[in-house]
Amino acid sequence: MRLALAIACFVILIVHGLVFYNQFFHKWQDYQTTYYDQALSMAKTPAEKSSLADKSPRIEQIIVTQFGETRVDRCTTCHIAMDDPRFEKYGHPLKTHSYSTALGDRLVNGKWERRHKFSDFGCTVCHDGQGRGLKPEYSHGEDEYWPEPLLGFMVQANWRKEFQPKLKGKDYLESACAQCHTEENFPGTPTVTEGRKLFFSQNCYGCHKIEGLSDGTLAPDLTEAGKKFKLDYLWESIVDPTANLATSFMPNFHLSDDKVRALVVFLKSRKGLNFAETSLAHYRAQLNAKRPGSESKEEASTPSPAPTLAGPALVAQGEKLLTDHACTACHKLKATDGGIAPDLTYEGLIKDEDWIGDHFKNPRARVPDSIMPSFRFADTEFRAMTAFLVAQHTPPPATAPAEMYKALCQRCHGEKGDGHGPIAWYLDPYPRDLTKAGFINSKSIDRLRHSVKTGVAGTSMPAWGKLLPDDQIDGMLKYVFATFTKDVRVEPRPRKVPETNPVVSNAASIDRGQRTFLDRCAGCHGKKADGKGPNSLDILPRPRNLRNAWFINSVDDRRLFDSISYGVQGTAMPSWVDYGLQTSDIGDLVNFIRSLNPQATRSINARAN
Amino acid sequence: MAMATKAAARTEAGGAMSRRKLLGWLSGVSLFGSAVLSAFSNFVFIKPRATYGQPQRFSIGKPEEFPSGARIAMEQKRVCVVREGNKVAAISTTCTHLGCIVGLSDTGFACPCHGSRFDTDGTVTGGPAPKPLPWFKVSLAPNGELEIDKDTQVEPGSYFTV
Repeated sequence: MRLALAIACFVILIVHGLVFYNQFFHKWQDYQTTYYDQALSMAKTPAEKSSLADKSPRIEQIIVTQFGETRVDRCTTCHIAMDDPRFEKYGHPLKTHSYSTALGDRLVNGKWERRHKFSDFGCTVCHDGQGRGLKPEYSHGEDEYWPEPLLGFMVQANWRKEFQPKLKGKDYLESACAQCHTEENFPGTPTVTEGRKLFFSQNCYGCHKIEGLSDGTLAPDLTEAGKKFKLDYLWESIVDPTANLATSFMPNFHLSDDKVRALVVFLKSRKGLNFAETSLAHYRAQLNAKRPGSESKEEASTPSPAPTLAGPALVAQGEKLLTDHACTACHKLKATDGGIAPDLTYEGLIKDEDWIGDHFKNPRARVPDSIMPSFRFADTEFRAMTAFLVAQHTPPPATAPAEMYKALCQRCHGEKGDGHGPIAWYLDPYPRDLTKAGFINSKSIDRLRHSVKTGVAGTSMPAWGKLLPDDQIDGMLKYVFATFTKDVRVEPRPRKVPETNPVVSNAASIDRGQRTFLDRCAGCHGKKADGKGPNSLDILPRPRNLRNAWFINSVDDRRLFDSISYGVQGTAMPSWVDYGLQTSDIGDLVNFIRSLNPQATRSINARAN
Repeated sequence: MAMATKAAARTEAGGAMSRRKLLGWLSGVSLFGSAVLSAFSNFVFIKPRATYGQPQRFSIGKPEEFPSGARIAMEQKRVCVVREGNKVAAISTTCTHLGCIVGLSDTGFACPCHGSRFDTDGTVTGGPAPKPLPWFKVSLAPNGELEIDKDTQVEPGSYFTV
């Protein structure tokens, strides 16, 4: 018993001793002692010797208060010879920090003078890392490339070794420079400047948001990309967008390594709050920020030609712009296919100049649920690009329906005709599932032909009638029936529904319609009638967006009545007659739906047709 | 093995008591040692290893930046650099009365808070200040810059020769 007690007491003593040693004897003390010993042996004057003899190890710290939030850097506790030129040949940590003319250091009378004095700027401004840490694992982290700037070359499980040689180099330091040197085109940071240019020229800004630079909402916010992501992750995300997120629909831009590096450096320099500012200064700068729209427009309009450019020159300019702005990163144009957005090869035949122009400026003005970003190009550029698209009027060669389906329909409707084409995911509304016999066979051939021929307004279905003669459209329909729908087609008999809405549209009727809508329809079509009700996610095809004015105004009362009264076969829309809605109720609903869609669009639509 | 023989020898010589004594003695010493270490650690711990204020030892720049006859007060660092000829000194600008920052005046230093006055060497010439302003040690760092160590006070009037 006593033996056990004695052993326990002894163990306690050992543990105490270890803790004590650990807490009060440090590696950095050894470094400093070594440094002072070495310096003493190098000292020439007695004054120098005596001043060195006085020094004892202690925590050295640089407190940077001159700009931004106060920084505390204790790096010089270990790296104590940083500013002592005699230690150039020594190893880390007792090694002189190199001098660099690129950073503004000057050689005066054989002695180097630093532009960025450590006592003024500290260390973590450039090197990153944790300035207060006094142990390598705290201050450096697990960075692989130390003593290069600690930009986050972290050892990690999914670390892409093949990127390693590309992630090292002087360029990367620029991302740290840009923390304080925030001005555009700062001569010291050419890579950041190039990355910023690429961010706009490659249209990254259309989808990504960077506070103060762009407002894209489609893709992740990159305001703090430099803080959140490591270099290899950034690089990987640019060259292989689906590597980390299988569902990512970011296009692969196929950039050269130099361009990727510029973008990575630029993104690494985006840390939200810059070192150079406090959060309050940042907020104030945000308030006074000049809108990036105007800025980029000015920038873009300088190199673009005078608006007098016309004819083939304008078209050629448009083609160049289309390439420069990386439109085919999403769209298909002849042989290049971005695999995200609709085919532009026959755009000049399908759409008119008004449509293309309007759609350019605000895609949602024409296709209300489009995900295409509103790009901020100059008007002259829009005009040139529109001219180029309008000039795309070579119709596809007449081929057998199977070939034609492959060439024109398959991108959206899919190889199997089930509506899951490669770009279907990015379209709203979703392409029609042609294998659903319930739907296809419940619609009259005229209705189907009409949809193919004139397209579906407010959606991505183009008016194929402008490209293909009637007999080819009929051939295509027959092909679809035979190949995808398969069921024997029996032409449906027209149902008994009023041709025009018998209920007069007035406030009372709309009000009644709204109440019925909220009771019966909002579950799927949503309270806002935008087709995004709580049940909508479980349903394919998705409920119709009833605020898509182009679509709603393109269909007549008869069709609305038909769909509401008898439902839409092959979809989740039930027959509301079976649920007790009277013709008058449906009339109210139609009035309500019509009231949501401005009539102005309707008249334009009518004119266009 | 040795312990066993030792213990056995003890048992023979003085019986269980001496083994008990040894173990008790061992436990006592260990516990006492632990207690001393803990107490000592606690005392050391009381003194902060690093404070969040400006560092006590800092460099102020090349000697050339201070022309002869200069008296430059550094607000942040709370020190006044004096240079006469090739002699440099650093005088505290923290008032010895209640710690206000004293300003430069024609006759030396003057405290704005309670009117303490000091001459150019920091000696009290009036007001409530109880002690003269301390002088700090100045030395030349290896990178050729002057370094002030506020932890080391020197006799007033002792200059550093550049």
